[in-house]
Amino acid sequence: MDTVSEKWPVTKGDFSAGNTKSCIAVVTLASSMPLFEKAAIWGSCKTENLGAEKVVMNVVSNCNIRYVLLCGGESRGHLAGQTLKALYENGIDEDGRILGSEGAIPFIENLEIETIQRFRQQVELIDRIGLTDLDEICSIVDNYHDSEKPFEAFPVSFRKAVRKYQAPESIGADIVISEKVVMDAFSGLIYEIA
Amino acid sequence: MFRFQKDQKIANIAGVKIGGNPGELPTALAGTIFYEGHDIVGDANEGLFDRKIAEDLLNSQRASSDETGNPCLVHIFGNTEQALRNYIDFVSEITDSPFLIDSPDPLARMAATEYVSEIGLGDRAVYNSINMTIGEKERQVLKDSDIDSSIVLGFNAMDSGFKGRMQLLESGTSSMDKGLIDIALECGMCNILIDPGITPMGNGSGVSLRITLTAKAKWGLPVGSGIHNAPSSWEWLRDKKKHDPLVFKMCDIASAVMQQAAAGNFVLYGPIENAPYIFPVAAMSDIMIYESVEEFEIEPASSHPFNRLV
Repeated sequence: MDTVSEKWPVTKGDFSAGNTKSCIAVVTLASSMPLFEKAAIWGSCKTENLGAEKVVMNVVSNCNIRYVLLCGGESRGHLAGQTLKALYENGIDEDGRILGSEGAIPFIENLEIETIQRFRQQVELIDRIGLTDLDEICSIVDNYHDSEKPFEAFPVSFRKAVRKYQAPESIGADIVISEKVVMDAFSGLIYEIA
Repeated sequence: MFRFQKDQKIANIAGVKIGGNPGELPTALAGTIFYEGHDIVGDANEGLFDRKIAEDLLNSQRASSDETGNPCLVHIFGNTEQALRNYIDFVSEITDSPFLIDSPDPLARMAATEYVSEIGLGDRAVYNSINMTIGEKERQVLKDSDIDSSIVLGFNAMDSGFKGRMQLLESGTSSMDKGLIDIALECGMCNILIDPGITPMGNGSGVSLRITLTAKAKWGLPVGSGIHNAPSSWEWLRDKKKHDPLVFKMCDIASAVMQQAAAGNFVLYGPIENAPYIFPVAAMSDIMIYESVEEFEIEPASSHPFNRLV
């Protein structure tokens, strides 16, 4: 059984893949540190919404990851570290709000509640928020990188959601381009009037 | 290029006018000072910084503004109440430009709001921002304050598409009693500046441009954004920056033109160090935009770059 999605990491960001078979992912929050290759993935997460989503996506699409190490300096105001901890401990409500997060706008928009549940089941969170000593971080990775078997499930795959355009029932010109050409701002249509 | 059928409202913030149809008023530009990672800041919690360099930066933005005619605002970013107080005291002493109060911490924003009212600077302050997380306490603080200008942030974290953001502005989300524009009015905001919210490249960075057009067509309010946040968070570009920082800078600054071409009235252009570059770029766009609508009998303001630079 494949334990890692094709083209992993499934989403891009300020992070790099290391050894995809490693059990541990390292989230350096607002700090930037050089990749330690024994980690499955390594990099920053600065926001409490899209940033947190990316962490979840790259974890659940790689069943080998069983630990997520939160370290580095917390991102001020956004509190991405505290938010990831809250997400892990409490999950989200039906509106996508991350329960218990103190971040500025803590919402998960693009993931299903089941994906969040899967994240919470698949990994154990190691909370070392504030830790910036690279040697100590690498030593934690050393201890965990081959300590667990893969999570017994298929890696979650993601398809980019495309919002469907719905043509409006009526069109009215609200932007004038020339005498006979107008635009309906809401629908984005530019058209010629008789 | 085009003009709106709906009357366009013009905000007047301590003499700085923002809004109108394309070609009418020069684009207002706000540079950020004391931002996260700004090397002039020594202690971000206490708000300690290099005053000489900060003064030079404010003066540089002012000089650029005086040259092109694009009005300037100072976007003050602070993490704590103490920091914001120090920054506001300093900025208001050095320049008479309006300033934005920005903090990720609502308590710090609220405390700064009370502070500017207390020291009589409410008319120069722009609250940044009324957004989907606003609570009762924040609303009350704004109502009780002298601040009557605010950015209204359309970023909807529950539905960041076009409809979700428009809905947030118009009627709110499921957990809100009304839309953000009505909340802003209720809080006593006379000068409402819509910011559709910029998301990273690949996460709907362009939605804000369509919302700019739509919000102006629908409400006639001034619209703008911190559009440079899209390229500045673009991984591919950040990688290019390692080899050639100029490439990054060009994209960062050029993004303002996109906002202007989509009828934007103001741009939060990011680091204030970029003032000498952004003002000429914005002035160039303003001139070309004006010349595209000249036949619509649009009159450019006397301070418009068209009347100053060509």
